[in-house]
Amino acid sequence: MHVVVINASPRVRKYSNTDKIMISFCRGLIRRGASFEKHAISERKYWGVIRQAFLDNDEIVFAVPLYAEAVPGLMLEFLETLPKKDNRTRVSFILQGGFAEGCRLRCGEELLRDLTKYLGVSYGGCLVKGDNFSIRLREGECLDRIIKPYEKMGELFANGDGFRFNQAKKFTGPEIYSTPVRIATDVVFKTVAKRTMIKMAEAAFGCTTPLDYKPWAQNSYELDSAISQNEQFFTLKKKYNM
Amino acid sequence: MVLLLDTTEEKIGSEVLRECGLNKKEEVELIDTTEMNISNCNGCNFCWLKTPGECTLKDDYEPILKKISSADQVWLISDTKFGFISYKAKNIVDRISPIITTFLHYNNKKARHIMRYDRTPDLGVIYSGEGNDEFLNRWCDRLASDLGSSSRGAYGREKIKEAVSCM
Repeated sequence: MHVVVINASPRVRKYSNTDKIMISFCRGLIRRGASFEKHAISERKYWGVIRQAFLDNDEIVFAVPLYAEAVPGLMLEFLETLPKKDNRTRVSFILQGGFAEGCRLRCGEELLRDLTKYLGVSYGGCLVKGDNFSIRLREGECLDRIIKPYEKMGELFANGDGFRFNQAKKFTGPEIYSTPVRIATDVVFKTVAKRTMIKMAEAAFGCTTPLDYKPWAQNSYELDSAISQNEQFFTLKKKYNM
Repeated sequence: MVLLLDTTEEKIGSEVLRECGLNKKEEVELIDTTEMNISNCNGCNFCWLKTPGECTLKDDYEPILKKISSADQVWLISDTKFGFISYKAKNIVDRISPIITTFLHYNNKKARHIMRYDRTPDLGVIYSGEGNDEFLNRWCDRLASDLGSSSRGAYGREKIKEAVSCM
């Protein structure tokens, strides 16, 4: 089996979470004797090459980051340039996003399934998984822990049934959190996750501006609130020695 | 203020604006984006993590986003492709990230990003062509809910009157 794996993220490959997921997935393909070629639509100059790969092959996987409950605008633009093919070509998807609960990706999944009808190809299923926002900010073992599970999915994909196997369904994890988990997660969002994000923004991007800064604060209420957030930010930084 | 963002080749925003006039809708602003240079979001996340609240892409989009951030309603007027909105309209949506922060919270049982500003506009879609009406309505609902606002619905071009009555 030869698989054309196309990164549909507009982010440059070097910083692309989707690319890191694809690398792990492709490792799995190789382990089971399949070959692959990897492409990325973020560089428009290669769109002709990618189009040709789409035309010449019948096993295609688009790896897609969820953008505003759907696929990125750039992917829609690229898809418009594809010629129609028939159902001997199978298109499958890896859909990934930041929010952890599976339910957050279902609207995007529905759009992807429908896209195959418009492209005239058969649908090979969709591997859905969230909780991936921090990939670009992680390295080493932390990164491996997040992307390693995609390797197994690559192995199973090489069996030839697209993503229509049980482990792919389970791969999503919880569809929706139970109330106690939701409450606990909310506490994490407002404490640990917030501090981690501030720390990472400073370490990775040299950002010393409060992450909730309002450059367009319009009225006195918003200005007061922006000033107060600024003060809270620096108190927080001092408290946690950041 | 009701903001109409026209991305259609036929510029059907003017039809919508005319209907608004007939219905004495005040404070409606139409922006014709068809000739504007609006790039796709490149996913750099700088608007969340490096220059909070500001997009690094310097094209014609920023003045539109400023209006979005202070509007009561935003109506996306779009051609359709694959049953969905066009890539031009989707680019406009993808680039709203600067008015959202990277911080999260649970609100009404749903994990959401915390909005950067106090006001978040309701969303509506008016589409031209063969749109998947059911999906477009669901998508608009989901997106508005992500932003902590409400959907005013998705309407085909033949239902402009109905759309305007919901403004």
